[in-house]
Amino acid sequence: MEVRANLVPDNSGYKKVKFDSLILLPYRDADLSTVLSQISTIFIKSYSPGSLATTSFRGTPANHTQVEWNGLSLSNPMLGQSDLSQIPVSAFDEIEVLYGASGLTKTSGAFGGVVNLVTNPDWNNRIHASIAQTFASFDNYTTEAGFIGGTSSFQSHTRLNFTSAVNDFSYYDDFTMEKVTQHDAEVLQYGITEEAFWKLKDKHLFTARVWYSYDDRDIPPVVEGSATYYPQKMLNKTLRSIIEYKLVERSWNFSLKTSLVNQFMNYRNDSMFINNDHNCYTSFTSARFSWTGVKNLTIKPGLDYTYDYVKSDAYSGVKTRNTLGFYLEAGYRFNDHIKSQLILREDYLDGAFMPFIPTLGLEYKPFNKINLYLNANASRNYRYPTLNDLYWELWGNPDLKPEYDNGLEGGITYNYPSPSGKFFIETALSGYYSWMHDMIVWSPVPVNPSVWKPQNVSEVNARGIEASLNLKWKVSKLQITSSNNYTFCRSTYQKTTSPEDQSLGKQLIYIPEDTYNGTLNLSCWNFILGYNLTFVNKRYTSPDNQSYMPWYSLSNIIFGKSINLHNFVISLQVKVNNLFDVDYQSVTNWPMPGRNYSLTVRFEFKR
Amino acid sequence: MNLKDKIIRRNKVHTGESGFRLLIFISLLMYFFSGCSKEPIREVPPPKPPAPDTSKVTYENGIFVVNEGNYSRANASVTYIDNKSDSVYQDIFRSANSRGLGDVAQSMKVSGNKGFIIVNNNDRIEVVSLTDFKTITSISGFNSPRYIEFVDSTKAYVTNMRKNISVVDLRSLTIKKTISTPYWTEGLLHFGQYMFVTCIGSFNEPSADRKAQVYIIDTQTDMITDSILMGKEPVSITVDRKNKIWVICTGGYDNYEAPTLKRIDPSLMIVDKSFTFPVQQGVPSRLCINPTGDTLYYLNNGVFQMSANATELPTTALIPANGRLFYGLGIHPQTGQVFVSDAIDYVQSGKVFKCSQASGQVLNTYTAGSIPGSFCFTSSSKK
Repeated sequence: MEVRANLVPDNSGYKKVKFDSLILLPYRDADLSTVLSQISTIFIKSYSPGSLATTSFRGTPANHTQVEWNGLSLSNPMLGQSDLSQIPVSAFDEIEVLYGASGLTKTSGAFGGVVNLVTNPDWNNRIHASIAQTFASFDNYTTEAGFIGGTSSFQSHTRLNFTSAVNDFSYYDDFTMEKVTQHDAEVLQYGITEEAFWKLKDKHLFTARVWYSYDDRDIPPVVEGSATYYPQKMLNKTLRSIIEYKLVERSWNFSLKTSLVNQFMNYRNDSMFINNDHNCYTSFTSARFSWTGVKNLTIKPGLDYTYDYVKSDAYSGVKTRNTLGFYLEAGYRFNDHIKSQLILREDYLDGAFMPFIPTLGLEYKPFNKINLYLNANASRNYRYPTLNDLYWELWGNPDLKPEYDNGLEGGITYNYPSPSGKFFIETALSGYYSWMHDMIVWSPVPVNPSVWKPQNVSEVNARGIEASLNLKWKVSKLQITSSNNYTFCRSTYQKTTSPEDQSLGKQLIYIPEDTYNGTLNLSCWNFILGYNLTFVNKRYTSPDNQSYMPWYSLSNIIFGKSINLHNFVISLQVKVNNLFDVDYQSVTNWPMPGRNYSLTVRFEFKR
Repeated sequence: MNLKDKIIRRNKVHTGESGFRLLIFISLLMYFFSGCSKEPIREVPPPKPPAPDTSKVTYENGIFVVNEGNYSRANASVTYIDNKSDSVYQDIFRSANSRGLGDVAQSMKVSGNKGFIIVNNNDRIEVVSLTDFKTITSISGFNSPRYIEFVDSTKAYVTNMRKNISVVDLRSLTIKKTISTPYWTEGLLHFGQYMFVTCIGSFNEPSADRKAQVYIIDTQTDMITDSILMGKEPVSITVDRKNKIWVICTGGYDNYEAPTLKRIDPSLMIVDKSFTFPVQQGVPSRLCINPTGDTLYYLNNGVFQMSANATELPTTALIPANGRLFYGLGIHPQTGQVFVSDAIDYVQSGKVFKCSQASGQVLNTYTAGSIPGSFCFTSSSKK
């Protein structure tokens, strides 16, 4: 029986969770926000179908989660964050979630963590072709196709996805007190990725990747009767490319990666006479060397260089940014039980050295035969202001300091694969405490309350607990899998500047204290029945915690059947989302759909 | 919707019956899974502090605090402070009408026994009875409305951010006609036969190109008869007892020029006096006048007081902000007391301070709603 361990204990002292392609299979018609909200501990703040979806990871604001595609940041350098609703799950194979300080192996500045979307070659593959069509409620259609082919030394992955969504769901309007239909929520999205992997003598690995995506959408209205709607549109065209070379020797290896990204965005609001183009070019180059010449010691020095070039209608003139990052990672294995990993980072940003980032992690495995791991780390992290924070015309603040975070984290993971291979259990419990300072908040300027400027005003403490339990059990023909995640998060304002401000010690807005998600899948004779439950507790909507959105829970079910015919697989999948037709809002005044359905037909050819 | 209380309560009733318990457990589970029964999940507004019985109050002698609320969140509200008892009533529109007021309440004005609340982002005016604050009608069809001023008991003018000035028939409570202006109009002042209307300019133009002026409209013909050039962004207008008209100009959203306080002589239709504020010391707004018409008040970070005869702008604030975000200003037409609001962070429930007109000393502090932006004093408090 195949064991799909979620928790990856390879980073000593740091938490990392992986979701592989089998776990992601039922979500291939969805976007990243849907999958993360249903199976990970990251909280997703989703406004409305077809609209923005952002993250809150470990009680941090959205710009503290970095989303990457094979190590390349997907964030827009202007905003410093990405819209998860624009990332289709079908564009990659696996998701790695790097919690807190663990993300420092990838980048600085993500206090919450890093979500890395990964595609790796399977050298045993010859031909794997697939095409799937999804028909869903509210005139939503998704087509996704892939061709993966090659030899034991060369593999090519080609993927296409196309989504057209009208999102004309109906909902109850509390203001007009009648059922209305959502409008101006259309999305047209397509993308193509090509990835080629070439291996030479098991020593050299060349990788080239290109991803083009196009996303044209309306910005939907809030609840119809509550406000006058003025049509707004957003167009995103993005081209990303990565070339990577890796050389593997016996006691050392070396990798060099270089990438180019162009992100074009247009925002249009005719009623306000706004029609702005934002064009960002980013070049990212990363070199890593890894040396294991001395027993028990691994040393990985590295250099990262990022160049951002932004031409935006919202900035006066072209703005650029150079970031040179010095990186050193040292892993030391004291004995069979104790390992440690030290990460040092120093960034040189536009001609100035930024504060030093040291992080130390420890792993303790008390027993030889029991897969029990204790992890702890202490970290420091810095996040630099976004280009919007610095340069937005009239309101940007070039004097901003970086935000910084001191964090402590500890956790315990345990897994047990039964000798017969019929049963597998995995559980993890972790706790963290994070002291965030100089947090940048756009707030009114005292001399002119109608002008908002970003300022280093806020201090936030975030602490929480994450617990997960994954099970896999085979009872004759029936296979049962279940995953469960619970998080507790207290993220509080620690500083106030106004005498009447009542927010001191109160929970940050739109960050729930408790979330839970669980899935239970039963499969037998190529039938699959899955149930997913997400629970989101109360979210405060004002910093004084006087107003709030009540808790809600959503249930989804999935039923599928696949038929194998020689090299062909035909599968059908039916999903019912929001099974109990809960009338809810996630963000105040943004409508959400009730019960809705989708049907996916998939053809696969494998040889 | 407290699940824990329900479990405890139900378990108390049915102790000892294990089968029954299981059934309850399952039904509770179902309740949980179905996401909190059939009650829609909507924002719960701030709890109202205990206030005297609303059924015993009428809204005819007091102060309305108009709380803008956040754009697109539809959480605008009205707080009422009773003149006699000094009691505070929160969110009185919702209490009276069982629905929210809407999105961004800009201002309110009283005519006779009716209150006119301008709800900017709904393009609507809610007309309420001051007896019980119930809606009489909603007038819709405005173009991002800002302020209302009454000509007489039959007619009112409403400024709009887009396109025009609306003329409202107060008998039928409908928009009778519009006076077309290519620009955003803001403040209104009824002066004799005329309505003086400040005009900021258009959104799509930078400050340099915006034509800031005061329109003079003949209220008998509803025609623009004259205009006077102003500084950039003339936002508020008032009149003193010598019949001089005062206008505050912010200088532009991008600090295009220094802010100014201008005085118009309406007999000559010219600016006969102009005070320039020091640049970088703030942006003045919310010009008000005291009941005797000899002292001006405005916000410029703190609350400033200035004699209408002064030859210079005051340099020290009557009420310094001291870290507070002063946002709305009003002068009680009877007592002359200064009412100033603190929007705090533009999200949490704001505060209102009642201050002495002489010393600026805070006499009382009231809690209001989100972003208390303007004050409306009932006419019965005008003697």
